[in-house]
Amino acid sequence: MNRRIAIRNMALILGSAAVLPSCLHDNKGKPVVELKYLKLNGEQENLVSNLAETILPKTNTPGAKDLGINLFVFKMIDDCFDQKGQDEFMAGLKEFGDVVDKKYGKSFNELTAAERTAFANDIEKQSKDPNNKDKDAKATGFYWTVKGQTVFGYTTSKYFMTEQIIYELVPGRYNAMFPVKKKAAV
Amino acid sequence: MANFNIDSKSERTFDAIVIGSGMSGGWAAKELGDKGLKTLVLERGRDVKHNKDYPTTNMYPWEFAHHGQVTAEIREANPIVNRCYAFGEDAMHFFVKDKEHPYVQEKPFDWIRGYQVGGKSLLWARQTQRWSDFDFDGPARDGFAVDWPIRYKDIAPWYSHIEKFAGISGNLDGIAELPDGEFLPAFPLNAVEQRFSKHVKQHYQNRHVISARCAHLSKPNQIHFDQGRAQCQKRTLCQRGCPFGGYFSANSSTIPWALKSGHVTLRPFSVVESIMYDEKLGKATGVRVIDTNTKEAIEYYADVIFLNAAALNSNLVLLNSTSSRFPNGLGNDSGTLGKYVAFHNYSAHINAEWDGDKEWTTDGRNPAGGGYIPRFRNVYKQETDFLRGYAAGFSAYRYRETSSDGVGEDLKKNLVNDSLSGWKVGSHMMGETIPKKSNYVALDKSQKDQWGIPLLKIAVEYDDNDAKMKKDYVEQMTEMFTSAGFTNIKASTDNRAPGLDIHEMGGVRMGNDPKTSMLDKWHRLHACQNVYVTDGASMTSTSCQNPSLTYMAFAARAVDHAVSESKK
Repeated sequence: MNRRIAIRNMALILGSAAVLPSCLHDNKGKPVVELKYLKLNGEQENLVSNLAETILPKTNTPGAKDLGINLFVFKMIDDCFDQKGQDEFMAGLKEFGDVVDKKYGKSFNELTAAERTAFANDIEKQSKDPNNKDKDAKATGFYWTVKGQTVFGYTTSKYFMTEQIIYELVPGRYNAMFPVKKKAAV
Repeated sequence: MANFNIDSKSERTFDAIVIGSGMSGGWAAKELGDKGLKTLVLERGRDVKHNKDYPTTNMYPWEFAHHGQVTAEIREANPIVNRCYAFGEDAMHFFVKDKEHPYVQEKPFDWIRGYQVGGKSLLWARQTQRWSDFDFDGPARDGFAVDWPIRYKDIAPWYSHIEKFAGISGNLDGIAELPDGEFLPAFPLNAVEQRFSKHVKQHYQNRHVISARCAHLSKPNQIHFDQGRAQCQKRTLCQRGCPFGGYFSANSSTIPWALKSGHVTLRPFSVVESIMYDEKLGKATGVRVIDTNTKEAIEYYADVIFLNAAALNSNLVLLNSTSSRFPNGLGNDSGTLGKYVAFHNYSAHINAEWDGDKEWTTDGRNPAGGGYIPRFRNVYKQETDFLRGYAAGFSAYRYRETSSDGVGEDLKKNLVNDSLSGWKVGSHMMGETIPKKSNYVALDKSQKDQWGIPLLKIAVEYDDNDAKMKKDYVEQMTEMFTSAGFTNIKASTDNRAPGLDIHEMGGVRMGNDPKTSMLDKWHRLHACQNVYVTDGASMTSTSCQNPSLTYMAFAARAVDHAVSESKK
């Protein structure tokens, strides 16, 4: 799928909030996505986009950026999170950046894809460990926020709902007694 | 519509005026049109034409800007309506926003409204059960409110009349306390709902779990095709408006039917300020309307007036219709107008799991929502320390379970690698509340809306009877779930304000005695016999059935009476 077209389609869906960038990887520190409440600089914006792409990378199927899921994440946090949620998101974003800096001596955006994936996997692993004191940290909260919205955006995207699963707008039927075996065969 | 000649009084004179175009007003309009009466239907909100004005009806989840979620701005601006389960990105345009139409909460009350042609009939949960004499006998037997002036035999033929046209699916269950009707085929219970139904039948006397009866065309008849409606396609996106007309709404059914009769005129953007009363004639002569766009006041005249503005707004119209004969509101000789308001108690739920029937699931979606448990408490005799009882919903379901663990290829695999969850079961209570003088609505003394109409002040609250009943629901359902072998049973209660049930009723109650009630057995004001009130305002008691079917039957019966009176 042509990435530009995908993003343009996404932008159409998202309406006015997403101003189409000529290049999403504008590294000059200027934000390219127009948001109402969140104040992100270009660096931070790229971090969120890169994290979304790390969570849902382009493989032999489209990734977060291909599908405009990163834009959706911005939109959801900007529109649907309340002030408290947005404050937590911003604080978490900063802490997330600091943790990466401390660990790697460079920013998340400067990490290789493999390093980003390793870092994300670490957070996933740590969050599952009941003895881990850091699992409630702001950086971890930020990670799960981005992941939650990425997964929500992806699993409710046209791509996922038409090509990965079958969503029926008009089922036309209700079978109250349906054998599981038959379902599995479908 | 556009060419209303308001200069000529004869142009503004009709045989009948219907105030409101929703569930009951739509029926009044249809029946009046069918009987050839020149009828004006007034609606305070905008027109919503079937299909044409359902902007979201065919949208996929990804086509909504927030994939269905409500933005923080809208949530924060609308704390009241946002609490309604159906207020989502796909249907919010059919709900009144908090700031658009303010009201005064003397006590917390979530007033959920739909100001448009069709009213809340676009948004309702479509559950339809008849009352029986166990319900109509309630106040007289248990000594509260006043005796209903009607019984089941009075209303039964009108239930049939409504059911045939609206299309109600259900089984002939043969339960005395929940009379059977003119049903289309029911939506069947699934494996676990059936299991629970059998279990309850075997282990309890007079308790039943039946297919929920609902206003969906499971198998349409010619009369439904004649309305331009088609079979329900099991989308369960009803709150958006249904392109098939698969469920009953005024928009898909009664209103277009009424307009097709050629006798009915619909005027949206027309809020009724008051009903005009002529002391010499001793009757109402018409209504005073404010055009909500131009704010111009216009008077319309008719021989008979049907007030179907939805329960609390019908109270408001009467309270605001004062004259020297009726200084406290039209027809209010008894002083009961606005009082004895009641509702349904929906504040308890119970969930559990069933570790069996793993070989069964469901396919497609069930528009009926599952099962229904008719009231079993205090039916044949008083048996608890609280009055009346509750009905309950019951449903069982499995869902597609996926893990969202991991990142990258792992995550992508996890998201499509679904497995079927075990069976979950759930129930919610629908409790009768007792109408009391202290639960009332009144006009605010100082505050007015933008059309100069006083704001409605609402003072309605729960009482001890509700608390006891809620406790009993949790106990009884927990016991029934336990004995059925369900596990991990979790009851939850909430502190929702009254109103969120969207079953507010009363304030203009029926009764035999003009000294203690507002309406006679034909739904006419005792003291002003050409005004009929046939919506929720007329309810003497609430029982625990979903009320819309009863309002519709009331409206059709009252029109029949009004027309036969006019021929005398």
